[in-house]
Amino acid sequence: MEKRENNGRSNYNTSFSQEVFQNVDYGEEIKMCMQCGVCAASCPLSLQMDYPPRQIFAMIRAGKRQEVLSSKSIMLCTSCYACKVRCPRGIPVIDVMHGLAHYAFKQGFVPRKKTANFGREFWNQIYRLGRIDEKDLSRRYFFADGFVDGIKNGLEMADMGITMVVHKRMKLLPERKIKGIQSLRKMLDKAAEMGKGGARR
Amino acid sequence: MKYYLYWGCSLEGSGANYLVSLKPVFKTLGVEFEEIEDWNCCGASISYVGANDLSLKVLNARNLALAESKGSHDIVAPCSSCYIQMIKVNHEIKEDEELAKKVNQILAEGGLSYKGSIRVRHLMDVLYYDVGLEKIRQKAVKPLNGLKVAGYVGCQSVRPYGEYDSVERPVIQDRILEALGAQAVAFPKKMRCCGSGIFLPEMEYSFRLVRDILQDAVDHGGELISTVCPMCAMNLEVYQPRINRAFGTNFDIPIVYLTQLMAAAFGLDLKREAALDHNIIPPETILKAAVG
Repeated sequence: MEKRENNGRSNYNTSFSQEVFQNVDYGEEIKMCMQCGVCAASCPLSLQMDYPPRQIFAMIRAGKRQEVLSSKSIMLCTSCYACKVRCPRGIPVIDVMHGLAHYAFKQGFVPRKKTANFGREFWNQIYRLGRIDEKDLSRRYFFADGFVDGIKNGLEMADMGITMVVHKRMKLLPERKIKGIQSLRKMLDKAAEMGKGGARR
Repeated sequence: MKYYLYWGCSLEGSGANYLVSLKPVFKTLGVEFEEIEDWNCCGASISYVGANDLSLKVLNARNLALAESKGSHDIVAPCSSCYIQMIKVNHEIKEDEELAKKVNQILAEGGLSYKGSIRVRHLMDVLYYDVGLEKIRQKAVKPLNGLKVAGYVGCQSVRPYGEYDSVERPVIQDRILEALGAQAVAFPKKMRCCGSGIFLPEMEYSFRLVRDILQDAVDHGGELISTVCPMCAMNLEVYQPRINRAFGTNFDIPIVYLTQLMAAAFGLDLKREAALDHNIIPPETILKAAVG
């Protein structure tokens, strides 16, 4: 009789799940997943995803690193919290998805370029000013892929910008930093270093 | 009744009609407030791309620490994103001693600390539980006379904690609308997400979400939609012409903040105090017809 390794169990590749547990914020929470799919049924964008959250968790367990980190699903979370509220095992699905998105981004995966650009510019602006200045954020987001795209994007959205100004819903004052910006940056630097998500880079 | 008011970035820009109307409404109801000095952005729903979770926690802990250093009032956050980010961190710091230590170690870099003594509340929580429907009814000298309003709750103002209202079947916004004399319209999509923070980069997908919400509100008789979230307001109102173009629909339904309806029902100035001139799809005609 042929001798089978691992008492007949197939050789599961656990290196990616270990990587997720260690480096992804809330990554360990997926250990609780029982594959019921309530998260997928509750998600407003699950139909647009290549793999619903439930399947993403299964793929992590199966060691599918490339597929998970380059999946558009992890960038399509609208942060509506329906999954977190309904998960019968209490998994904060949204937080895991955010953690995966950040980790993928840090590892050089960009499954949704526009969303990645927007998120990056958003965060950069908080780091730079301490607050969000919507007009400046849109400008930076539109021009994130270069000048030509920027002009094109700007023209496409120009009517909306003008409407917002006319209706007093765009702050026209030049952007201003909060008073404590230096100390805020010091704190954020330390948090980036002490927290998860940026390892292995 | 005094609170720290954390109004956040949106209410100074695209959500200006929310803040402009909120201030006189608070004044009418006798609610005092103080701005958290030198507050920073909460991180909203998209920063996670560039920041790890601890950074987002620190961002909110700084605001909580700044409030705590001034006293012990509750923080009221009218923006649902500010609310959820802040209350989440507040909960986690209180439940997880190790996290609290870590966060305080980082806050110390800026000479701050947070003990965890501050309570974070949503505007609707304060309106319903502290101010009370009776007071709101009393102040509604120009009741909305059965105006059919679809009270859109969206996601982050009640989920995930359900601190003051049900996470699946919230009623508080409807009760406030009724206290103003309006008729709160029931519509199944009132808890469905509008696309929130990824609306702009994921417009194609988000358009469908918003189309379904608008259609649902209209189908159930809503003459206007009220909201308590600057992202909901932006996504449902400002993109309506583009959604019409994309789907061949002809939505023309005003989206107003609950506080704008309150200001109107309280008999305050429709332009200066209810900020109706800030709305792109004008609600004046419908409101004036109701108020008389």
